[in-house]
Amino acid sequence: MTVSRDDPRGVSQTSTGSRLLQNPKPATVWASVAAVLLGLELGAVLEFASSIALDSVRAFNGIQAVPFSVGTGALVGFERWAADLPRLLSRETVPSSGYYSTVSGEWVVGPVYFDGGQWVGTFLGLEPAHAWLVRVAVVYLYTGVGLVWLWVGYRWYRSHYRVADWTPRDDVVDRFRSHYWGLFGFAIVLLFLSTVVFGPTLAPTTNQVNNVDPYSYQIQYWNADAGAVEEVAVGNANSQSTSTGSANVGLWSYDDFGRFHPFGTMPSGQDLFTFIMYGARLSLTIGLVTIGLSTLIATSLAMASAYYRGRVDLGLVLLSDSIMALPGLLVLIMLSVVLGGTWLANVFDGGLLLALIFAGAGWPGLWRAIRGPALQTAEREWVDAARGLGQRPSTIMRKHILPYIAGYLLVYGSMSLGGVIIGIAGLSYLGLGVNPPVPEWGRAIGLGQPYIGTSSWHISIVPGVLITVVVIGFNALGDGIRDAIDPKSDTDAADTGGVDRGGGA
Amino acid sequence: MKRLRYLGKRFLLAVPVVWLGTSFTWFAVFMGPIDPAAALVSDADPTASDKYQSIRTKLGLDQPPLQQYIDFMTDMAVFDLGRTWVVYSGTNVNTLVLDFLPQTLWLGFWSVLIAVFVGVPLGFYAGTRSNTLADYLTSFSGISWRAMPNFWLAAVVLSLLINSEALFGIEWELLGVRTGAITGNPGLGYMADNPLNLFLQPGNTLAAVKKVAPAALVLGSASMGNEIRIGRTAVMEVKNEQYIDFARAKGVSGGRLVWKHVFRNALVPLVPIITTEAFLLVGGSVLVESVFGISGMGSLFLRAAIEGDIPVLGTLMYVFILMLVGINLFQDVLYTLIDPRIGLEGDA
Amino acid sequence: MSDQGSGEPMLSVEDLSVVFRTDKERIHALDGVSFDIHEGETVGLVGESGSGKSVTARSILGLVDDPGRIESGSIRFRGEDLTETGWMDARGDIAIVFQDPSGSLNPVYTVGNQIREALRIHQDLTGRAARREAIRLLESVGISDAPGRVDAYPDEFSGGMRQRAVIATALACDPDLLVCDEPTTALDVTIQAQILDLLDDLQREEDLAVLFITHDMGVISEVADRVNVMYAGEVVERAPAGRLFSDPAHPYTRGLLASIPGVHEGGERLLTIDGEVPTPNEAPTGCRFAARCPKAFGACDHTHPDHVALDGDQSAACLLFDEDHSAPVSPGTGLPGPADTDSAARTDGGEE
Ligand code: SF4
Repeated sequence: MTVSRDDPRGVSQTSTGSRLLQNPKPATVWASVAAVLLGLELGAVLEFASSIALDSVRAFNGIQAVPFSVGTGALVGFERWAADLPRLLSRETVPSSGYYSTVSGEWVVGPVYFDGGQWVGTFLGLEPAHAWLVRVAVVYLYTGVGLVWLWVGYRWYRSHYRVADWTPRDDVVDRFRSHYWGLFGFAIVLLFLSTVVFGPTLAPTTNQVNNVDPYSYQIQYWNADAGAVEEVAVGNANSQSTSTGSANVGLWSYDDFGRFHPFGTMPSGQDLFTFIMYGARLSLTIGLVTIGLSTLIATSLAMASAYYRGRVDLGLVLLSDSIMALPGLLVLIMLSVVLGGTWLANVFDGGLLLALIFAGAGWPGLWRAIRGPALQTAEREWVDAARGLGQRPSTIMRKHILPYIAGYLLVYGSMSLGGVIIGIAGLSYLGLGVNPPVPEWGRAIGLGQPYIGTSSWHISIVPGVLITVVVIGFNALGDGIRDAIDPKSDTDAADTGGVDRGGGA
Repeated sequence: MKRLRYLGKRFLLAVPVVWLGTSFTWFAVFMGPIDPAAALVSDADPTASDKYQSIRTKLGLDQPPLQQYIDFMTDMAVFDLGRTWVVYSGTNVNTLVLDFLPQTLWLGFWSVLIAVFVGVPLGFYAGTRSNTLADYLTSFSGISWRAMPNFWLAAVVLSLLINSEALFGIEWELLGVRTGAITGNPGLGYMADNPLNLFLQPGNTLAAVKKVAPAALVLGSASMGNEIRIGRTAVMEVKNEQYIDFARAKGVSGGRLVWKHVFRNALVPLVPIITTEAFLLVGGSVLVESVFGISGMGSLFLRAAIEGDIPVLGTLMYVFILMLVGINLFQDVLYTLIDPRIGLEGDA
Repeated sequence: MSDQGSGEPMLSVEDLSVVFRTDKERIHALDGVSFDIHEGETVGLVGESGSGKSVTARSILGLVDDPGRIESGSIRFRGEDLTETGWMDARGDIAIVFQDPSGSLNPVYTVGNQIREALRIHQDLTGRAARREAIRLLESVGISDAPGRVDAYPDEFSGGMRQRAVIATALACDPDLLVCDEPTTALDVTIQAQILDLLDDLQREEDLAVLFITHDMGVISEVADRVNVMYAGEVVERAPAGRLFSDPAHPYTRGLLASIPGVHEGGERLLTIDGEVPTPNEAPTGCRFAARCPKAFGACDHTHPDHVALDGDQSAACLLFDEDHSAPVSPGTGLPGPADTDSAARTDGGEE
């Protein structure tokens, strides 16, 4: 057994629990920081949880095969209540939309400054762009603090509480810390994840207002001609803020209604940044569900291969070979057409169907990647020993084989996530992905395509560049983890079979 | 000869793959949740119309499933691909494939060529100068090529070409041979009578190449990135092999060492990615052909998909599976040519 | 055994230091290595893995690559310092046989092709003449059916045959000095013996000088005229082969000899030296063997031993033999203290 460093007797009687009692201070500090961090965002957490629950219930009710439906009233009420809770990171705490006024009663719209003028309604009366920047900074600061909190927690656990002075995982972490390419990927992925999590906060407006139902919401703006503050429906405002080459609201600019658009507007006037934020949520959610599903399939089958070998393994090889022999993107297209009319296609605006199709087409690649390690692990002596002790097959696989392939899962999961994101975008671009008007990056690219050559190039270029960067990030992270887990591994196993490219999209 | 036996074995292994893939396609198309006949009729209540019944009979949907399956598989096996219903309504699919395939092959050929002749040298270059600035730049460009979505890249390249005069001062359309329009089909008709016209009429060939070049570049971009990455690693690994030291000790040096001993061996790990690339090409062709307005197999497939011509979708899928398996076999042939070890130690 | 010590040495390595740089440290793979090879003789280089034998071989061939670098010292071959002139002219005059025969031949070319490549460079033979010569060489290294084998790929050869083909390729360079870096280690015992016989024959026929590198004391006793013992990047003892085996001086050599089964009479116990070769990542302050040395004494930790010439062309880098340092006679070891280096140490032939 491991001998604890703090225990002079060198007996192995200490456990993490007793070490916690001996030295509770770091844990207390750590936990209180957690409480503060959580408290600042409690409203958001509750709202998020209730919206997930609500979506699931709605999805469940969408399954026509089930004869009964579940009432949503209570959940809707809870979500409303949670949405009203104050929190640090929100559009309400740091508002960035308002109108410009001067003290003397002279009103001007847009980015033009007049002496003595001031913005009304924005955070501290700042110009909307600056107010928005403040909000962005607060969000990433919060994320940064959260990250430091996690890292410090890990270090403290390692030095104060963990019984073992050293475990092989420490080396993996240390190797990753000196892998610059992997760290670069980690940074991008982290940025992407925090953007996705706080997307609604970062966005200048909400998807509901921006995209779904713009005519039901009003905004106030300064009408220079009339010389007064007027109200206008968002939909009407949008239709006068279009980006179509001839008319243009480009990157980092204001429209005629004093609204700030970090990424400009779309061809029909919606805010592109908001569209992208919500699109990122969708891509990532579908991507994660896909990876989760294919990991589940691939892992169970890989462990079955490793444990039973022989015919089971051969059959699986044949099955996965045949699936992999099909042209990926074409199968995706065919299946989304064939399954398009079913109730599945309406769950989560078609997102679930996409995830299922991607998982169904994607698991063989993942399975191929972990089958080898799983077979190797199963050959180790202790697996035989466990078998000899009469442990059940499922237990052996879970306890002895799974931990050893978990790393590979992380690597290939990360790499194929990028591919799924490209694939979803490709299908949406073709008009086959999620149902309109749900925001999706591929759809933005498609909408903006006619204007790439004009001053409204941002509509296509921005989401395209973002996809590229995110995919690079996930690949780099995968590379980094792989090198950290297994420094001697073949640097470029090209055996992801195109999974990491979304089947060619 | 051992290598022939190896190839024969690979060929036999391809049969069940084609069979399973086609069966899966049949199942998705004919046993799936959508009634293919109903999808072809645009009426409000498709099942009520006469047309629906006649299509059902023509598709053989009244037969028991097993009979349908056997009929479908035999039709495919003898290459009787049936007719279309919505897309070019009533055309024989065989004729359609013959019309559309040349454009796709032409595009695919050039995209592979561009990818190989740009990607491999760049990868080898980066590998021979590993860990220099040039290497980092090349590698990063390879990674970016891999990460850019084809359809986006296609849209960007297209609009760059359209605005080439404003951006670069030269109009792409006027550069070199004139092609009439930036998008559209490459003019391959001149080869119809005599395939040798490929060489006999260089002007036409050049025009046809220029027409698909941008699309080919986009289509090959991901493969190019792959080749840069893998070529680089391969060179770095081969450089450390003992036979390189042995050859140096023998007095082989300079270009001869690099070309004869390093590059030839570094080609070996590049061969298997041809299959991976074939998948990228076939998948990418759907998007790239649509963006560049090329009537190839990919855009045909997409039209069939969007217009709900599901039976045609199935038969086209079969053609694609055959193409992929064919490329796979071609790769095996290439393998045996490049690496004499293949076939010597069982299944390599 | 040919006569050694007459005239200029053919190859003379002097004070050779090779350093490998990594991100974190500088590893002194070789530290002041010196030895000579005369025409027609076989010099052995022996030591555990990691002692710097292979780096020595690679340095002589000019094959030290990044991150390694020859820091100082000279490698004189026929009077020319290769570290200054470069290796290009000497290539072929010095040939090498590596440990792993399957790695030495390029798998994508036929054996004949690779032999002809050397023939073209060093003997200006091409075409049919080259092919005939390649077949002759294959025959001379004992490959039966050479005309049929010359067009075969390396992977169609067995391990032993591959090593013969490697030797044939080396001979095609028409060398004067053949460096054999563990040429038999990867082969099984019967083939080992055949290859050793082959090398022995060839050396006599072609009047080659051979640098024979191995970790195997048993092999070295069969082939070498003179032996250099390496430890952690240094030559710690050099002696004529007979003398080394009868009267080893350096405690490390004694340990090595004691670890050969069957060398001493009561050889039922296989004595191995505890510990591992240290990674020499900094300049030495004491004797590098001190941590494992059974005879280590106070001065060993802070004085770096230089070679001390002993009788009969033997020398050892050990403070036990250095008059300036005195150490207590270690009780119960049978090994004398430094005061009487010559008597007892010479007669009892190693550890008991
Ligand atoms: S110098 Fe000292 S430590 Fe080194 S070998 Fe001699 S006795 Fe042993």
